[in-house]
Order: sequence, then structure tokens, then C-alpha cells
Amino acid sequence: MTKTIGIPRAMYFYEFYPVWEAYFKSLGFEILLSPKTNKDILNAGILACVDEACLPVKIFHGHVVFLKDKVDYIFIPRIIGLHKREYNCPKHLGLSDMIKSSIDGLPEIIDPIINLRNKNGVKIAVKDMKNELKLNYSQKELYKNAIREQEKYKKNLLKTDISLKKDEKSSNLLILGHPYNVYDEFINMNILEKLKDEDLNLFFAEDIPEKDYREYSSQFIKRIFWTQGRKLIGSSYYLIDNELIDGIMYLSAFGCGLDSMLVYLVEKKCIEKNIPMIVLTLDEQTGEAGFVTRIDAFLDMMEWRKKDENNLSTFR
Amino acid sequence: MDSYYLGIDVGSVSTNIALIDGRDLLVYKKYLRTQGKPIDMIKDGIKELSESFGHSKIKSVGVTGSGRQLASIIVGSDVIKNEITCHAIATLNYNPDIRTIIEIGGQDSKIILMRDGIIVDFAMNTVCAAGTGSFLDRQALRLGIDISEFGNKALKSVNPVRIAGRCAVFAESDMIHKQQLGHSQNDIIKGLCQALVRNYLSNVGKGKDIQGPIAFQGGVAANVGIREAFELELGEELIVPPNYDVMGAIGAALLGKENVKVKGSTSFKGLDLYKNDYVVNGIDCNGCSNHCEILEIKEEDIVLARFGDKCGKWSSNSLRLNS
Repeated sequence: MTKTIGIPRAMYFYEFYPVWEAYFKSLGFEILLSPKTNKDILNAGILACVDEACLPVKIFHGHVVFLKDKVDYIFIPRIIGLHKREYNCPKHLGLSDMIKSSIDGLPEIIDPIINLRNKNGVKIAVKDMKNELKLNYSQKELYKNAIREQEKYKKNLLKTDISLKKDEKSSNLLILGHPYNVYDEFINMNILEKLKDEDLNLFFAEDIPEKDYREYSSQFIKRIFWTQGRKLIGSSYYLIDNELIDGIMYLSAFGCGLDSMLVYLVEKKCIEKNIPMIVLTLDEQTGEAGFVTRIDAFLDMMEWRKKDENNLSTFR
Repeated sequence: MDSYYLGIDVGSVSTNIALIDGRDLLVYKKYLRTQGKPIDMIKDGIKELSESFGHSKIKSVGVTGSGRQLASIIVGSDVIKNEITCHAIATLNYNPDIRTIIEIGGQDSKIILMRDGIIVDFAMNTVCAAGTGSFLDRQALRLGIDISEFGNKALKSVNPVRIAGRCAVFAESDMIHKQQLGHSQNDIIKGLCQALVRNYLSNVGKGKDIQGPIAFQGGVAANVGIREAFELELGEELIVPPNYDVMGAIGAALLGKENVKVKGSTSFKGLDLYKNDYVVNGIDCNGCSNHCEILEIKEEDIVLARFGDKCGKWSSNSLRLNS
């Protein structure tokens, strides 16, 4: 009988779903993906999760609650590191442990260690999966195929030539933040929908090739050892230094440890290059008035500044 | 017939109305406490306005403040603008040289940096309301004094006590301890003013390049104690515009006036609108797991607007709202 594996639509889903989907399908699993975040999921997550965690982690708990009685397994990989000498947010590292200790009546949790800090990281992960899923064959080839799906997905994201995105009339705005904040429309009160009708070219960290953002995030005395951090810092620095953007909107979940550092580094660069930036703090509030006021005022300011810039002679 | 331009600022604590004439000069202003009843306050304000200006022509209406959507639905506005832009517009109209605006209202506090007549940076308080008017209101209540005496009492103190200003709850317990130790009321009040200013500068003003001339506006600008504490901390005199309490409304009026120049005519429903009955109903939508809280606004028996849903099922049936 086909077994069903549940995948929470939260946290790393927003980056790695293509590889997960291809992999589990090739293993013959049925996949159940939790729905887009909604109020029920949020409420279930807040009830289940420890109070100190950030909102995205609470929402992750909610997605697991949604899935737990509907599937045979839930997939919560323990992604320790994706690059040499780099780590992920500690909450990612311990996510499956948090879930196991906070939620009762769980199906089996599939939580292979994915630690690409080691040379043998992939090998270990593949073996881990074999044991956890009680497979009697090596699935190395299947895994390689799945990775190809992920590569295809990444290539698709990079398809647009960003230098073509910039036109003189509209303002270029970078929406920065962890993918689970930028692409979960519930958590960010559907900000992309709000910006859709404005006269803006929207840029995302995903528009920047890995090679470039890695290069631009390597200019510090001390290395940035968070993979996510390198992407956010590198992509924003790349766009600022190449004069591709007029402003940055940073979506940050209240209490995010990584952001406490990353926001500061982006802010510093923005001050240096005179680029306006706003940090929008996301938490459980659903009252949109304050959120909309900040967005509106920021867009007004960007437009005002751009107009002013165009009025100045280039021979200052 | 005289022509005027109306601006309405519906904030969390106050609802302000400003009327300007063709030369952008203020001819009428009204500061009302919102008291959680924005619709009633808008109606009250419009009623009073119609008593003095019923015979004149209102050529445009601009609305601002956190209740601007609601206000727009009730009065029919030409422009709906956020408070930051409105404050900046009004201040630049008053004095184009201003480089920094400190604005402290009921639930919001803002800093707006302007250079060469444009906004270059701004910040608002985050989730916490510790550095705002509500904080002062609360502490005045606690001390049993009227908020209007607050500033003058602070000025009488020569030896202010230090009070933790990070959080309204902590400040309150700190204040009670200082009271129990026997510190005078004036010293405690001055300490509170300094705590608010410290909190504002380290929270809202964090990392901002505060340059003079500085304008101080919003309801809290009436408080001389706060003003003095700011001047001490910044080492510079603050300019409090004569209409500091209705600057947002003035900005909205100016923007409405501009807008109608382009648009040609106003959407204003007229000064008689206060005679209508407005009813707001809450609807709990059970259509999906989002359980949106829908608000429905009716004028007499006509549905003016429904909003608050994520999917558009309710709001698309009424007039479309733009922010």
C-alpha cells in the first residue's frame, strides 16, 4: 500500500520543495502538503509551540498539527549546514526535536541529518533516509535525479535578467527577508498583493545568482557563517553596489536572532549608499492599519526621492 | 461664496479636523477625542463645522490617520494618505527649512527626516507604545492629575527622579516605588518626561541623524515638560508649530486640494452627512479556515462598504478600497 508522507508548507519548504517532491515521488510515496497558512494553522501553532519561538517556527508547528492525523510520516529534515563552515539558524537544527517534544500523537517523524559541512554529508543523509524509511535498496540515484529538479527550479528563478528589470520610470524595490517571511502571504499580510498595483519593479534575493551573492557577502573581516545570512547580505549588497535598486523593504519576524545582525548590516550599507530602507516587523498581529501606513509612507518617500534625484543636474 | 479645503485625521486617540482657505491658511480646527468611536466623532466634527461654515463651499477633502479608510467611506474623500506624508507636507508648508519632525501622537510616535524639502528617512515606533501619548495618559491617571497640568508640574521640578522608560508596565512599578520612597510628585513627573524622551530617542530615533531646525508636533507637543526634556537631550530648541495638534489634518487638506486641481471635482458628500445614521456590523465569515472579521458599514439602509476579508468575497461586493 502506498504510504503518505506529510510535508509542512513552512520554513524550508519555500526553498527546497522541488527536491523533496521529486525525491519522495520517485520513492513511490504519496505526498500531502499542508495548505497555505491560515488562522486555524496559526492558532494551532501558537497553542502547540513554546512561547519564546519566533512566529515562523510557531506557524511550522501549526502545519505539523494539521498533517499529523492525515499521514504515515512527516518529513522534517534536520538541516545543519548546506555549505562548508556554515550553519543554519539553530531553530532549524532543532526543529524536529521541538516538534517531538511539543506535539502529542505524531506519526513517525522522518528527520535525516543533512550536514553538508562534511565531505560525506550527502552520503550520510542518503543512508539516514534508507534507515528511517526502512528501504532495502540504495536510493542514491533517485536522490541525484531529485537534485536535478532543484537545479532546474533554481535556474527558472534566475531566468529574468535583472538588468532588464530596471526601467527609468518605476522605482526598483528589493523585498528582503527569509523566504518563509517573504513568500508566506499570511505571515506578511499579503504584502506582495499590496505592492502589485504600485508602479514598482520588485526584486528578490532569489534574483541573484549564488556565485554573485556569495562573492558580495565575503567582504567582511569575519565570515558570515549563516547560509541564509550570506544570501540576504550578498544579494542586497550586490544590488546596491550595482545601483539596481531604489529602496529595500526588510520583512523580519519579531525576535529573529539572525535578523538582529543581518538587518544591522543591510542598514549600514544603506546609510553608506543613501538608499532608503524600512524594516517591517511581523508578529501575530492581524490589524493591518499600522503595516499599511508604513508601506504607504515608504513608497511615497521613495517616489519623492526619485523625482528629486531626476530634477538635479548631473553636473553637481 | 468662499471656498475651503477640508482635512480629517482619524487617529487612535484624537480625531482632528482642519479647514484651509485658498491661500493654504488655517481657518478652522477641531481636536476631538476619538474614544473608540471614530464614526461618531467624525459626525460630531462635521456637525460643528457645518454650524460655522454651512454656507461655504468645501472644494476637496483629504483623510489621514489609522482610521482613514473608515473616514473616507463616511465622508467621501478625494485623497487617502498615510500620516507620515501628511505631517511632512503640513510642516513644509509651515516652514520649508525644517529638517527633522518629531511627532508624538496617541499610539504612534514618528521621526521624519527631511532634506531640501523632501522626506529622506522616517521611522515609527514598533509594537510598543511606551514612548507615546497613551503612556503619559496612563501615568497621569495613575498619579491622579490631569494630563494638561503634566507639563507645568514637570517644569517646577529641580531634582527629577530616574524612571525606567523602556516599558509602560515597568515604568509604572518603578514610579510606584519612587512614590513610596517619598519623592515629590513634580520630581516624578519630570522623571517620566525624561524617560519618555530617552525611550523615543533610543527606539524611534535610533541611528537617525537628527538635524535642526526640529519641529515638534502631535498631541504630546502641548506638553512643555516633554518639550523641555527633548531640548535638554538634543541641545537644541524645538519649534512647535501653532497648529501642532492638527498637522496631519492640515497635510491631508493640502493634498486634497492638490488632488482636486487635477481631478476637477470633489467626492465629498457634503456637510449634511452628519444627519445620516451610520451603522457598523461585524460579520464573522465562516467560509474558510481564515475566519476573517468582516466589517460592514451602512448609511441608513445602503451598504457603503465591507472590508476585512482576505479573499475578496465580501469587499468585492462593495466599493473597492484603496489605501
